[in-house]
Amino acid sequence: MMQKLRQSGTLLGFVLILLFFALKLPDTFLTARNLINISQQLSMLAVVATTMTIVMVMNDFDLSVGSMASLSGIVAAMIFTAGYPVWVGLSAALLVGVLGGLFNGFLVSVVGILPFVATLGTLTVFSGMAFLLSDGKTVFGRDIPASFSGFARAGIEIGDIKIPMLTITAGLVIFICWCILEHTNFGRRLYAIGGNKEASHLAGIKVVRLRLYAFSLTGLGAAGAGLMYAARVASANPTQGSGLMLDAIAAVFLGMTMSRRGEPKVIYTLVGVLILGVLDNGMTQLRVDSYVREILVGLIVLAAVAVASLSKLRQA
Amino acid sequence: MKTLLKTAVSLFALTASSAWAETVAVITPYLAQPGTQMAIEGFEAAASEKEWEVNVIDTAGDVASVISRIEDSITQNVDAIVIAVDPAQVNVGLQSAKEAGIPVVGLDAGTDPLLVANVTSNGYAMAAETSVYIANRIEGAGKVVMFVFDAFPPVQIRGVVADAIFGNFPDIEVLDRVTPDVSDGGIADSRAKMEAILAANPEAGSIAAVWAAWDQPALGALQAIEGAGREGEGIVITGIDANPQARDAIALAGNFEASIAQDFGAMGAAAADVVAGAMSGAEQRARVIYVPTKMVTANNAGQ
Amino acid sequence: MSKAFGGFPALADVTLNLSSGRVHALMGENGAGKSTLIKLIAGVLKPDSISVTKDGSPLPLNDAQDAHKAGFRFIHQELNIVPQVSVAENILLGRDLPRRFGFAVDWNKVKTQAEEALAFLGATHVDVTLPAGDLPAGDKMMMKIAAALVSADQNEPVLYVLDEPTAALTGEESEMLFDVIERLKAKGTAILYVSHRIDEILRICDDITVLRDGEFVSKNEISKTSKVDIIQAMTGRDFKDAYPKREVPIGIDTIASLENVDTSNLQNLNFELRAGEILGVSGLAEAGQTQLLKLFMGLGKVKSGAASFLDEELPRSPSDAWARSVAYIPRERRGEALCLDMSVRANIVLPHLSDYGFYAKPWLENKDALEFGGKVQLKSSGSTQPVGQLSGGNQQKIVFARAIQGNPKLLLLDEPTRGVDIGAKYDIYLLVRELSANGCAVILTSTDLPEVLGMCDRVLVMQEGRQAHLLERGEMTSADLLSHFFNNNDAA
Repeated sequence: MMQKLRQSGTLLGFVLILLFFALKLPDTFLTARNLINISQQLSMLAVVATTMTIVMVMNDFDLSVGSMASLSGIVAAMIFTAGYPVWVGLSAALLVGVLGGLFNGFLVSVVGILPFVATLGTLTVFSGMAFLLSDGKTVFGRDIPASFSGFARAGIEIGDIKIPMLTITAGLVIFICWCILEHTNFGRRLYAIGGNKEASHLAGIKVVRLRLYAFSLTGLGAAGAGLMYAARVASANPTQGSGLMLDAIAAVFLGMTMSRRGEPKVIYTLVGVLILGVLDNGMTQLRVDSYVREILVGLIVLAAVAVASLSKLRQA
Repeated sequence: MKTLLKTAVSLFALTASSAWAETVAVITPYLAQPGTQMAIEGFEAAASEKEWEVNVIDTAGDVASVISRIEDSITQNVDAIVIAVDPAQVNVGLQSAKEAGIPVVGLDAGTDPLLVANVTSNGYAMAAETSVYIANRIEGAGKVVMFVFDAFPPVQIRGVVADAIFGNFPDIEVLDRVTPDVSDGGIADSRAKMEAILAANPEAGSIAAVWAAWDQPALGALQAIEGAGREGEGIVITGIDANPQARDAIALAGNFEASIAQDFGAMGAAAADVVAGAMSGAEQRARVIYVPTKMVTANNAGQ
Repeated sequence: MSKAFGGFPALADVTLNLSSGRVHALMGENGAGKSTLIKLIAGVLKPDSISVTKDGSPLPLNDAQDAHKAGFRFIHQELNIVPQVSVAENILLGRDLPRRFGFAVDWNKVKTQAEEALAFLGATHVDVTLPAGDLPAGDKMMMKIAAALVSADQNEPVLYVLDEPTAALTGEESEMLFDVIERLKAKGTAILYVSHRIDEILRICDDITVLRDGEFVSKNEISKTSKVDIIQAMTGRDFKDAYPKREVPIGIDTIASLENVDTSNLQNLNFELRAGEILGVSGLAEAGQTQLLKLFMGLGKVKSGAASFLDEELPRSPSDAWARSVAYIPRERRGEALCLDMSVRANIVLPHLSDYGFYAKPWLENKDALEFGGKVQLKSSGSTQPVGQLSGGNQQKIVFARAIQGNPKLLLLDEPTRGVDIGAKYDIYLLVRELSANGCAVILTSTDLPEVLGMCDRVLVMQEGRQAHLLERGEMTSADLLSHFFNNNDAA
């Protein structure tokens, strides 16, 4: 009973939030246009949060995703500025993401630094590199090719509705992450590492190697989200991704309150992302002061996690 | 559960408002910056006289969120939107607003065809005022050090104007055109650069003036001159923006003699007028509207 | 002094009479209600009804504080200590430290008090200024008992509850503990002794109460009962012998061979292991037994000498070891073997995931988990039950199911029956015999010497990381084996 309540509490809260906005904003909230807006607004956060889930499944952490997103945007923009075609910029940025993730994984699993400390360090390193490459400037205007920024405007039209490319990209990433974690033996092994690192090692799981892979996937996701961000704002700035990290962690934590044993799951992370996004969207429409909005979002995250941990306590 | 209910109740309380007033969303990532804040306060003051409902949204540095909030405001069907951010970066949002027929006005933002108009200060005029001030003070002759920053367009245009004006005086020589490292705010590196220039020009009177495209390098140059003990040589320093630290320095009537204050409050009020015009359907011809600026010298720096 | 307990879901109408100066054994399989009973006495759990009387007068027992006031002391099998802090502070943990001038901690006094407590236990060799984490397991146990002793500030302890105290101790350390129990007895305290090890119970206890499925089964004086009676009372089944006998002779094929092998922490390893053979590894605590097993898991490097496994080099890593049909059952079930929050299925198939290809195949995993779970007679509510909810014995069976799924050629057992109840123990022994009959070589290390002697064909004795003896099982007794732990010249 308690278990069920703990699991469904957050979901119930989400439904209530939806209902509340639907009642308060009858004409605008539950419209196709608004829902598509929300999906597009959330696409970058969704990519970061779902790829972050991959390392959090192993009880690890990556604080550097935000600055990696900034760095990848800058790398792509600098390459565009130098006159190379779009695909070169994109590949280079994604490669930087993989390499940065590998470096995180190396620090965590080979050197053995706590993920919190290691990625706090690389957060600063990546951010510094972004500043160094860009000279602290925002790259925009003619330097950003229209075919790149156009991606954020494009969409696939189905009848009257235009599904934005950013939403479709995020959907693909979520689907791939879900497949990886839920339907491959790679994912099973990551969950086992999260369950007990030492036992997994002794059971023949290549813990060091898998952690490297997982961190590089998270880095790749962060870089992808950075590119999506840069396309959306048609510019690259060395700090523009930094807001993604905390929201992504909050989304994964919200999601963890919904799973059976408190383990992160892609689907639940997605619900976490939606909760954050819907709150932002609805409260903007209700004209709630932006600072009050921040306080409310923080309190709602805390409430969800508190309910989960209290019911877990009572269970024990 | 209880928390949610409470949240719900407080939201109802927050959103109780008159249904008839025109609503305007003001969206910026830079509310923490004094200039933006003053401009928005000026806008709110003017808006309250017009009995508009104003919703100020700060995305705390996140530019993509500005687009999201523009989209939300469109969904909510506001009557107008004011942005204080580079319009090129939120182009997607402006496009949507245009499609929805909602006017967007820029507040010290930048020029963009999708904006009804941008209300700002005239950077050319500000630079002209300070460079002419220097030329007159040194009576059209002497060596001038310039601090510029061409990477940032609003500052770059200031340098261009100063170049032209100094070039028009045959006896004025630009000794050096310095681009300081701004990652620490600009003061420290400007000071270091100025110290090097002072060391290279040791004779009294060999440097007549320092022209800075904004206040921080002017303050750094002032520190360097004082540090070298050459404050008695009559080197004239000017800045632009008249930030509080610069005003303090100018009030002391030392080498730092002048800066230009932008009237952010008036900028907000002017933006409100543009919004009012746009909502009534009047045609806005000028894409850029300049608000007068004011030179700050020792006489008025305390104000 | 007596206690009577009323009904409780996991425990129905159990009465326990404890007398001063006597050691009372409490036995039962896992899940029989022993832990529940202890928690009730400790005041941690609230019973539906309980009556506790001491010398005929009722005693309040509403919370842990009441239990402490009444003079009840508890020593649990899990050694919960603060490893970074000194032994002396651990002993005085939770009490006001002695002070000087009313505020400064009097460290000399702390040291003396801790040393006095240890001296009473005969453990004068322990340096109380060391960090507690650096002590060997046996000394940690002494420290815990000492801590229970000094907690007697105003109220003398009247009852010690020892929950599986020897689980983490070597034979020699256990001997020391038994001495201490004698001393406590002589002081006139009552002792409630919970253990799975019948031989111990028969040796040191005076009375015994047996529980099964939360119900009282029998109570007797030890002198009037026997091993067989106790096992029967606990399991409700008949047991002819505690250890099944070898029925299939040892094979001819060599599975592993080590010649003059030195590693970074082991020396002089010299033995050959044949198919079906069960080799015991014994010695004092931390003499290198675990390292020897881990050597075959690819954890440890051969520095000199010739080592081979199935005519090739030793495995290079745990994953290599599993891939080459080595199965390992680590010492710490919770820490090293199981993901407690994960399902029975996930835990069983864990080392064999690569057999299922790239995509997960839950139906196949399920089938295998059921098959191998069935082979080890696992009792669970289904293959998706989290293993953390199972008893110790069933958890260990999962580790065995995992081991046999790979059809191992070499099975490494580190304390395979620690914390496992007697019924499950016997199932495990049968399983080991069956594997050995099918040609799997086994290396077993255990601090339970009768287990080593009951199961193994030969016993390798280690001393400080060195192979000291390789003994034929023969007619050796526990005492004979123990003597080889100290004896340097090879008598065998």
